[in-house]
Amino acid sequence: MEGKRTRLALLIAMALALVLLVAACGEEKDEEPSGGGGGGGGESAQADCGTVTINENAWAGSTANVYIAKAVLEEELGCEVEITKITEIPVFQAMADGKVDAVLEDWQHVDEYKKYIDQAGTVVMGGPLGVEGHIGWFIPKYLMDEHPEFETWEGLKGNEELFKTPESGDQGMFLGGDPSYVQKDKELIEALDLNLKHVTAGAEPAQVARWSQLYKQQKPVLFYWYTPQFYNQQYDLAEVKLPPRKPGTDCKDDAKAGGDPEQYKCEYDITVINKLFSKKFADSGSPAYDVLKRMKLTNEDQEAVAKAIAGDKEDPDKAAQDWVAENQDTVDAWLGQS
Amino acid sequence: MQVAGIVLLILLGYALFRGDFSWPAALTWQELPEKLDDAQTWLLEQRTAENPNVIFAIFDGFRALAEWLVTAIDNVLLWLTWVGTIAAATLIVLRFGGWRAALIVFLAFVSFALMGLWEESLQTLALMSAAVLLSLAVGVPIGIVAGRSDGFYRAITPALDAMQIVPAFAYLMPIVILFSVGPAAAVICTMIYAIPPAVRITALGIRGVTADAVEAASAFGSTRAQTLFKVQLPLARKQILLALNQTIMFALSLVVIAGLIGGQGLGDVVTNGLYSNPALAILAGIAIVIMAIALDRATAAIAERTDPTRRHLTDERRRRARLRTLATFAAIAVIVLLARALGADSIYPDEFETATTVYTATIEDTLLPWIQDVLDYVQDPTSFVFGITEPIGNFLLEYMLEPLRKVLVETPWFIVLAGLSAIALVISGLRPAVTAFVLLAAIGVMGVWDPAMDTLSQVLVATALAVLFGIAIGIWAAESPRVERLLRPLLDTLQTLPQLVYIIPFIYLMPVSRIPGIVASVLYAVPVVIRLVTNGLRGVPPAAVEAASSFGASRAQVLAKVKLPLARDSIMLGVNQAIILVLAVVVIGGLVGSGALGDMIARGLQRNEFGEGVVASLAILALGIALDRVTQGQRAAARRSSGRGPGGGWTLLRRQGQPRGGDA
Repeated sequence: MEGKRTRLALLIAMALALVLLVAACGEEKDEEPSGGGGGGGGESAQADCGTVTINENAWAGSTANVYIAKAVLEEELGCEVEITKITEIPVFQAMADGKVDAVLEDWQHVDEYKKYIDQAGTVVMGGPLGVEGHIGWFIPKYLMDEHPEFETWEGLKGNEELFKTPESGDQGMFLGGDPSYVQKDKELIEALDLNLKHVTAGAEPAQVARWSQLYKQQKPVLFYWYTPQFYNQQYDLAEVKLPPRKPGTDCKDDAKAGGDPEQYKCEYDITVINKLFSKKFADSGSPAYDVLKRMKLTNEDQEAVAKAIAGDKEDPDKAAQDWVAENQDTVDAWLGQS
Repeated sequence: MQVAGIVLLILLGYALFRGDFSWPAALTWQELPEKLDDAQTWLLEQRTAENPNVIFAIFDGFRALAEWLVTAIDNVLLWLTWVGTIAAATLIVLRFGGWRAALIVFLAFVSFALMGLWEESLQTLALMSAAVLLSLAVGVPIGIVAGRSDGFYRAITPALDAMQIVPAFAYLMPIVILFSVGPAAAVICTMIYAIPPAVRITALGIRGVTADAVEAASAFGSTRAQTLFKVQLPLARKQILLALNQTIMFALSLVVIAGLIGGQGLGDVVTNGLYSNPALAILAGIAIVIMAIALDRATAAIAERTDPTRRHLTDERRRRARLRTLATFAAIAVIVLLARALGADSIYPDEFETATTVYTATIEDTLLPWIQDVLDYVQDPTSFVFGITEPIGNFLLEYMLEPLRKVLVETPWFIVLAGLSAIALVISGLRPAVTAFVLLAAIGVMGVWDPAMDTLSQVLVATALAVLFGIAIGIWAAESPRVERLLRPLLDTLQTLPQLVYIIPFIYLMPVSRIPGIVASVLYAVPVVIRLVTNGLRGVPPAAVEAASSFGASRAQVLAKVKLPLARDSIMLGVNQAIILVLAVVVIGGLVGSGALGDMIARGLQRNEFGEGVVASLAILALGIALDRVTQGQRAAARRSSGRGPGGGWTLLRRQGQPRGGDA
């Protein structure tokens, strides 16, 4: 008993000593870069860029934006870029706490804008990224060729049975979007009086699995989808037009708002995708802030890089650097040198 | 048979009043989700207020502690360099756990390196170690108190149940508000899930110390503290080490969720890889399994080898053991210092450079295309496998799931409510029936009766399948030790592989939205059923078997007439555990199209419909406890009267039984 106890004490003491030793080493290591003043290369004016933390969202488009920003900030400004991967809502709190400096692709989380930008003021609006999101109802191109009447939603009427699957029973199946995305398809189906059953496929990868499987079998499928999306370069899809938005009328897009389905009876509005910054970062005077604020991408830019990363499995850093090399003019504009 | 009668009555109700009575609005508390939303907003305002409450300072202190701990452990591992980390882990396990466990640990680290996931694996290891240390620091003392006081144990049991069943998705956002994102928040989420097993197993260990030993101690005039430290704790040592082992396993299963709120490491790779690189997500999932198996074998071996009741040391051998310990640490120190002197990287490098050539140091680039090939095959709708799995998926949906859902949702609610409570009464007795009734009614009041019944239909189908396969395979394994040995690694893998990972192939193979979730939950629940059935059959007294054989019963007859009836309790426990485990996967199902409650919870976090998410989680909790009460049988009552203490049906152990090596 006695021997065991001493041994245990010895063990604990050793472990503690090790932790302390290394904690000390760790601190030493931390101090090095700041003490060294900029470290490896870069002009003195740019040395104060320091570390910039950008959040990457799960989808491939976001990966493309983040790595493009990373390539520009690291190569041109000599910043150190850290990437976090926090989901859409918690990341607002992360920005408020200064743990994340920038989000480059926010799909209009209006409730959070109210809480964090308007009320608390801990997050600032960084303006549009330039990429415009468009949500709609899509079918494979081969189906559109076969049934040109699917050009608009009226063509679906009476043909719903074509989309029948075991999951939808007697009705046609409408494959809904990722539950975390903005959507109003149940309301639309009701308001347009279509004989469709809204089937949730779950998160985006699962939804893609469902429709791409049917696509490969050349079967009919109707689903929630959006652009920009790199899969659009891989699969030939066509859009079913929904009732147009009438100017001056109020038509809602997010079923979260509740209310009568009639209020949703129109196509989805273009979604302006915003950049957001933490207040701390915006006030820090970092040159990276100005560059990120000026950063603008088109849908094509984003899709091309996203496809290289997610479709062709290229290294994200390399794909982004290649894009930067080919689009030096665009990048120069962000850097404020024209 | 009474159960069959009740089921018939429910079906009659369905035939007569199909769809006529849905849960009345008058009996629904509609403001509940809004109130919960308001509570969260209030929390946020408090946190950002000019003068935050003192409580936030305490939370902040805890956050700092957790963060410091994770960083410190990570720094230790980095300082050791990758060579030193492998050496230290292997040699320590070799000294205290024997060569078998040491070999497994060594291979595990080598595989992290070769898979190109070294850094992520170490981050996960650091995160987990911190979470486990803190969970034990909280859980073991509570467990000791609970082990010594029945009243206290009974009081905290509901809280422990809730911590294990309420899906982590539901409380991620409040935790982020309180603790911000990053390792601290991840550690705290993990603790909520990992503390209950620590408490339960410790309490069980303390309770397991025989009354004779405690009495003898007090007879010799020991104080309560002396009894605890000199008698109860040493004798419960093995159980407490089992608590460590189980806490690790539970903590690992939250690694993926922790990835959502900035807990770095393998979890991160899994969640993000799913969207852009599923092959990489699967590889990271495999790394998690390897880590789980290595940690499990190492802790179990150490618990076994250092058990003082099993080895009786003479002074001479004790001195030698101490020398060996010193030698081990000296060797580690030498290796680490050498590695540092020779300039080994702190993180295993992607390539080795010599003067002339650069060698790739990992086989990640070989592995990923292999996995991708498998995925491509799975995604191919003309493949042979798809031709089999798709009809199975459709069959499950059309002939099991959909009819059952219709019955549960469209039968008048009061008939379903009364029917389920009546089944509880028949199987488990009056008190469980009352509990089940109240909880099911609460689901209705919260306004989620329909989705809850939808989820219930999925849970019942999954449980039926898990029990069916579990019993069949369990019998097989009990009859043949070789089968059991072969199954073990497979079962371990199924229990530790993140469900998000093994769900991937089924999304493609059975493209019907509710089915992949069901398959995933069956795969998750079936190992426990197999283990319980095997244990139960093994536990049948040999005398009974011999007697039957000597009367000329065949092997099949012995099984059907003797072994299965005698193992009935374990099999019922298997059913009960299967339900609970299936419920745990409901949220994951929501991510792959199960709809119903799982969908609400997923949305709760991702679209910040916090109130709805919490309501759905509470409904899952209520459904879980209600189903537990319906199926627990007379077991809990029997256990209570046999003096083994309270605990209900919630013995949510991943593995029933003792650390291996013993002959439990």
